[in-house]
Formats: sequence, structure tokens, C-alpha cells
Amino acid sequence: MSDNILEIKDLVVHFETDDGVVHAINGLDISIPREKTLGLVGETGAGKTTTALSVLNLVPNPPGKIKSGSILLDGKDVLQMSDSELEAMRGNDVAMIFQDPMTALNPVMTIGDQIAESIELHQHISAKESFEKAKELLKMVGIAENRAYDYPHQFSGGMRQRAVIAIALACEPKLLLADEPTTALDVTIQAQVLTLMKDLIDRRHMSMLLITHDLGVVAETCDDVAVMYAGRIVEIGTADEVFNATRHPYTEGLFNSLPNLHERGEELIPIKGLMPDPMDLPQGCAFAPRCSYATEACTKAVPELRTMGGTHYVACSAYDNPSFCLRRNANG
Amino acid sequence: MSQKSTNNEGFSMEILKQYRGRSLAQETVRRLFKNRGAIVGMIFLIVLIVVAILSEFIFDYNTQIIGMNPLALYAAPSAEHPFGCDNMGRDILARICYGARYSLLIGIGSVAIGLCIGIILGSLAGFYGGVIDNLVMRANDILYAIPNIMIAVVVVSILGTSPASLLFSLCISAASSLTRITRAAVMQIRGQEFIESAYAMGLPTWKVILRHIIPNCLSPIIVQCTLAVGNNIISASSLSFLGVGIPVPLPEWGAMLSDGRAYIRSAPWMCIFPGLAIMITVLALNLMGDGLRDALDPKLKK
Amino acid sequence: MIRYILKRLVLMIPTILLTSLLIFWAMSLTGGDPVMTILPENATVEQQEALREEMGLNDPFFVQYFRYVKGIVQGDMGESYVTRLDVFQTFMGRLPMTLALGGTALIFSVIISIPLGIWTALNQNSWKDTAGMIFALFGVSMPNFWLGLMLVLLFSLTLGLLPSGGSGGVRYLVLPALTVGLGLAALITRTTRSSMLDVLRQDYMTTAKAKGASRRRVIYRHGLRNAMIPIVTAVGMQFSYVMTGSALAEKVFSWPGIGLLVADSITKRDTPMVTGSIILCCILMAIINLMVDIIYAYCDPRIKAQYSRKG
Repeated sequence: MSDNILEIKDLVVHFETDDGVVHAINGLDISIPREKTLGLVGETGAGKTTTALSVLNLVPNPPGKIKSGSILLDGKDVLQMSDSELEAMRGNDVAMIFQDPMTALNPVMTIGDQIAESIELHQHISAKESFEKAKELLKMVGIAENRAYDYPHQFSGGMRQRAVIAIALACEPKLLLADEPTTALDVTIQAQVLTLMKDLIDRRHMSMLLITHDLGVVAETCDDVAVMYAGRIVEIGTADEVFNATRHPYTEGLFNSLPNLHERGEELIPIKGLMPDPMDLPQGCAFAPRCSYATEACTKAVPELRTMGGTHYVACSAYDNPSFCLRRNANG
Repeated sequence: MSQKSTNNEGFSMEILKQYRGRSLAQETVRRLFKNRGAIVGMIFLIVLIVVAILSEFIFDYNTQIIGMNPLALYAAPSAEHPFGCDNMGRDILARICYGARYSLLIGIGSVAIGLCIGIILGSLAGFYGGVIDNLVMRANDILYAIPNIMIAVVVVSILGTSPASLLFSLCISAASSLTRITRAAVMQIRGQEFIESAYAMGLPTWKVILRHIIPNCLSPIIVQCTLAVGNNIISASSLSFLGVGIPVPLPEWGAMLSDGRAYIRSAPWMCIFPGLAIMITVLALNLMGDGLRDALDPKLKK
Repeated sequence: MIRYILKRLVLMIPTILLTSLLIFWAMSLTGGDPVMTILPENATVEQQEALREEMGLNDPFFVQYFRYVKGIVQGDMGESYVTRLDVFQTFMGRLPMTLALGGTALIFSVIISIPLGIWTALNQNSWKDTAGMIFALFGVSMPNFWLGLMLVLLFSLTLGLLPSGGSGGVRYLVLPALTVGLGLAALITRTTRSSMLDVLRQDYMTTAKAKGASRRRVIYRHGLRNAMIPIVTAVGMQFSYVMTGSALAEKVFSWPGIGLLVADSITKRDTPMVTGSIILCCILMAIINLMVDIIYAYCDPRIKAQYSRKG
């Protein structure tokens, strides 16, 4: 058996709308080793959520369509699974925490019922027993057991996200997909929820794909980091490599846009421009139009991922020139 | 992005719109023209309006529309009279063409008046809330509790049967539903931040309402108007059918149906064709209303 | 919840009072002179005046109105000018016929339309959806009295299967109920479909799928109950459609219900009958609306909580 719990190879996902084809994911390769956490970083619209939904084979269809690629979960291709295999996998082997806790819970079912449903579906025990288990799970995420009889509208945002986490963890999945689990929450609650998640994952030896645009969260939680831009990975490596030996101009841009608490006077350097229209991606490197290092060559061909030593990969043709070095690294 | 953003982030219409650089109105018109049903509906309505205007010049009112033609009593549909003739020997096709004006004028007119009242009352109630809101909405509740047709019956029995009183009685129900919709839309928009920013720029209240609030409430109002025109055309003909609408011998479609009812055994075409005319007109309006709704609300798209 | 219902019942009183005032006032403007209707044409002026005095028609408007309201409370809404029968009792006598017609139509349309609406939503953009939507579009665009006439033409006059009017037995109910029910079914189908489509797009549906629930379970356990909220509202709002539709169908089929009663009373200028019937209809509508709100609360815990909090 492979060492990786998840291997995504050459994934291509399109959304075919009346207005044109949205190229959401364009050849994505990532893998997550067992009991490790991979952070997937990128702007809104980079295809992060679509990646997570692809792993569950839940890309909304129509208009979404997985055009090609394979997603190996424990060596088995999710995209080849039958409906019943998928149902047995979802929630049991892989669970997902959704971005917006305000809409992710069914407003007409009690919290307890919603947590118990997952247990009932996968562990084939009676409704009553699963409800008891649901209460335990609620306690585990820090909510009083008797709140299991409440409806989502009686919960605050942070509590709802805890409930969503309880649903995801109900069957102790091997892999957890967390889609911006803290974005919709207050900063103080964010820290609580992150700590809780990290703690639970460590204790249960789970792997996690953590999707976020918050580099602070990544630094805090992840073993590996993948940076995504316009449906492709532009840089991937261990957290240490990506944070301390940044290679891709886009990653550099992300860091430069980050306010620094220690050097308050420092000027922020924003990335100029906007993400390209996913219906009309530029030829060559999608980041080239916004890149201050871009050359003629960048607009010709899509750069392949190349190793920068060890587990660190980057997709940037500037490294054709052996002496190329990002400003960030040159100064440091 | 807003809280309502969908899961598939690469697919957000707001973002697409930014890239495309088209205004909402252009975008709406473009989507509307892609909707086959809406196009068919629009073409039919344009043709109907043209027919309603031209029939003034084609037919002679006194002889062809209300006159009697003893030679063609109950004539069955034929090449000469495609829709047949009625109990007075009048050509049904001619009467339907001429009668289009009543349905259209009453349908559109009642909604137009209702719209003016509805927008004013609805935006006042939604914007100011409190006492005004309570007054307007309680009055509305009362109207809501009485089936539209009963209101119309009461109004028509005060003012007598004429196209004008029919128009007036139907505009009440249109005003009532449009008030509701405007109020709900205004209340939703009022709380949003761009309204506060309009205030912060120093605009007076009436300008904020006129320039910022009403334009943002337009989509549900436009859709409701289209559907209300269709509804009112049906209500108008229903009232004529009950005998409290447009008086004989005016060739209103409902009144023609009401006339034809007595002869349904011998001359069924007297019932069939006016009813078809009502149905197709309302169908065209509904097609347009559905098209507009889909075009204005990109969320509903596939 | 019980307190909420009681509160609503109390709130109903001013609404009904105001409605009845409005209608009473409107009808007093139009009624013409009932004395002329009641007395034979050769009655003397003295006889007319005596009758006016006896009926209280010379009293100021508000006195007449208060007398009327007092009557309503005691179930006495005056006598018909034409038949000299008690208005309240006549209305109540006709009510079962209308309820039978409206009820049959409503049940028939709900049975057809909710499954059809769900089915079309689940098959969105396929030929099944298109077919269902075309049916619904025709249904809502058709004046239902015309549909009634066409049904008579087909089933009674051409095929001779069903009676074309009158009452007595289930056979007489079929065509009027179809007339009201088909239009209603079309309306509810459209609401069900759009409400189901809306629910299918919600995030919690994805959550349910991500838990490993089957498509069936996601749709019926998670989707349907959420979709039911707007559907119940839509059905509730259609009661006024049912009443209007029934009135027209009653006229087409000479079905002796309230609609026919009102229509006849209008032609005969029978003011107390018209006033009384309209007011009673409004009370009926208010009660039905309250019932709809209670069902609504049952479907949606958020609203239930709201009701309980407000008391």
C-alpha cells in the first residue's frame, strides 16, 4: 500500500456554463502522506474548493465536469467508484468541513440528528445509539450535550462550525478536507477552532487537506504547503521550504502582501492586477501578466513543476536561468 | 464575496461580470434574448399590440363589431370567417382583434396604476417602518384577506359596469401585491452598507430612495408586473364572465365567452376562440415574465 | 404556541371589523333602494316609508353599521331581500357545497402537483422538465372558467360521459373539481419546482452528500422538508384562488355553492346577501390563513421558535 493517503494526478475540472467553459482546475498534482497535513493556499477562484469537492466526487454536475485525471484514495480511484462505493466512502473514509457554517447545516434538523445521521449511515447502529454518540461528539468539540436537541438557528457561528467539525469527525475518517474552516469566524474563535481541529487530528492519527488563504493558519497547522494559482500548483514543499526558501514569484507576492506585526513601518507590496478570467486563461504561465519577473518566455509555454531540491517543487520558467533568485531571497 | 457565495468558487457570477465589463442591464437583455420562450412571448405581444391598433382602421365598429349580420348567424368557421360567427352573425376573428385593446389596456393600465401606488406605499413602508409601515401593511392585510374578485365585485357594483371601473377595481389588487413586494425588497436593501455610504456622501433621503434603493429593488418588481398583467387579464375576463365586467356589446374576450356559453351546444366556436385568445396572451406574458426572472436572477440558472 | 394562536385570533377581530365596515359602507352606496325591490310596484309612498323605518334604513350610517355588527356576533346577518331567508343560514347551507368543491380540487391538485414539481426539479433541463413546465405554463395561463367550458364541451357534449352541470353525487363533482384543480395544480407545480431547485443548491445538501447519504435520502430527508416551507405557503396563498376559481366554476356548472349565491345575489341586487357573504368569506379566509401559519410553524423550527418567543 502506498505511503500516501491521497494522490491526485493530473486533475482537470471544467464548469461548462452558457457563457463559456470555466477552466477551474487545469492539471493538478498533489499528494498527502499519512497523518500529515497539507495546506492548500491560493486566492478566491484559484480552484481550491473544487479540488476538495473532487476528492469526494461531489463537483456539482452540471455544470461541473471532471475531464480527466485520477484521485487515488488509499490506492483506490475515487473517480472510478460506483455510487454505493462513493456513499460508503463519503463521511466514513473522507469527511469535509465546509467554509460557511451558517449555510452548511440543515435548518430543519436538530444538531444531534445531523451528527447522528453520519454515524447511523456508516456504523449501522440504531438511531438512539447514534444520537448518544452524537452527544459525546458534541462534548468533544466543546458543546454541552443537551444542545444536541437544538436547531442550527439557536447556535452561534463558532458553535455551528464546531458542530460541522463534529459531523466530519463522527466516523473517524482517515482524511479530513477542511475548506477554509475558520474564514467565516471571528478572529478569537478562529484560534479556538484551529487548536481544536489540530488536537483532534493528532489524537486520531488523521490526515488533512487544509484549504485556506490565510498564510498564518498554514504556518500554524501544516506539514506541507501547496500554493495554487488559476487551477494549477505553482509551488509545493514542506512548510519550512515554502516559508523560508520561497521560490515562486506568486508565493513571494503573497508574503509581501502580508502585514508584518514586528516591522510596522514596512511597506506592503500588493500583487498588481486581478486573477485572470478562468474562462479565458492567458497562454503560458497564468501568473505572467501580474509577475514582475516575467519575460517573453513566460507567455509561451506553461511551466512544468521542477524540483528545487528535496521535496520542494516550483512551476516557474525563470529558473531556466540558473542564477535566477527572488528579491525576497536576495535581500535576506 | 457575499455570504451567499456558492461552493464552486470559480463559478461566481459577480466575478465573471467584473471580467466581462458589461452592465447588469446589458447582461439581462443578453440573457433574455437567449431565452427562446421569452422571445416567442415578446413577438406575440408586439403582434397583438399592432393588431389592436390596426383593427381600429380595418374594421368598421358599428357594422362589423357590434352590428348584426342576419346572413351569417352562428356560421361555422370557414375560409370567410376563420373563427366562425356568433349569435348576431358577427365575425369572431374581427371581434377578437378589436377586443384585444380591452384586455391589453385593462391588464397593462391596471398594473401601471397599481405600480405607481405600490412603489410609493411600499417604499415608504419599507423605508420608514414604524407607524407608516404598520398602517400600510394592516390595510394591505385587509385587502389580502378578501379574494381579489370580491374586491372587484364590490368596486364594480359601486361604480357600475364600464371599462374604467374594471380598470380601477383590478388596480387595487395589483397595488396590494406590488406594495408587498416593494416593501420586502426595500427592507432588504435598506440595511445594506452601500445605502449608508450614500447617506455618508450627504444625499437627501428622497434621493437615496429614488437613486439607490428603488433601482436595486427593480428586478422582483418587474417580474411581478409582467405576471400581474397576465393575472389581471384573466381576472378582467372572469369578471365579464360573471356579468360584472365590461358591458355588452363591447367585444371584450370574457364577455364574448359569457355570451357564447349559452350557445355552447350549437356554436362551440363562440366559446373556444375568445378563450384561446385569453390563454395565448397570458401565456405570452408568463413566458416573458419567466424569462425576465431567469435573466434578472443569475442564481437560478443551471 | 397556543398563546400565539390565541393572540392571532384576537388580532383577527379588528381586521374583520374593518373589513366589514369597508364592505358595509361600499354596499350601502350601491345597494339602491331595497324597498323598491321588496314591495310590489303599486305600493304607496307611505308604505315605502313605513318599511324604511322598520328596516332602520333612515338611521345614520354608523347606527346601521353597529346594529349589523351586533347581528354578526349573534349569527344574525339580516334577511335576504329576495327570498326573505336568513343570510347566515343560507350562507352556511351553501358552504358545504363550496368546501366540497374547493377541497376536492385542492386535494386533487396537491396530489398531482407536488410529485410533479419535485420530479421536474430533479430532472432539470431534461425533456421531462420541459414537458412538466409546459403543462404548468398552460395551466396558469388558462382562465379556468374557459377550461370548465371546454371540459363540458368535451366530456358532456361530445363524449356524453359526465353531466354538464347541477349537483347530486360524485359524478357531478368531477368536472367542476377538475376545472378548479388543474389551474391550481399548475400553480403549485411551479412553486414546488422552484422551491426544490432552490433547496437543491443549498450548502447543507452538499453536507448531507458528503456524509455519505444516498441521493434518495438527501432529497427526501434533507431536501423535501426544507422545500415544503415555501410550498405550504404557496398552497395557503392559493385559498383565495380556490375561492375565486370555485365561484367561477360554480357559475359554469350551476354548482349551488357560495360563488353562485354571490353571483346570483349581485344580479338580483340582494344587498344583505352580498354583504353578508363577502364578510363571511373574509372571516373564512382569515381562519384558513391562520391554519396555514400553524402548519408553517410545524415545518420550520425557526418560525416555531419565533412564535413561541413572541408569545
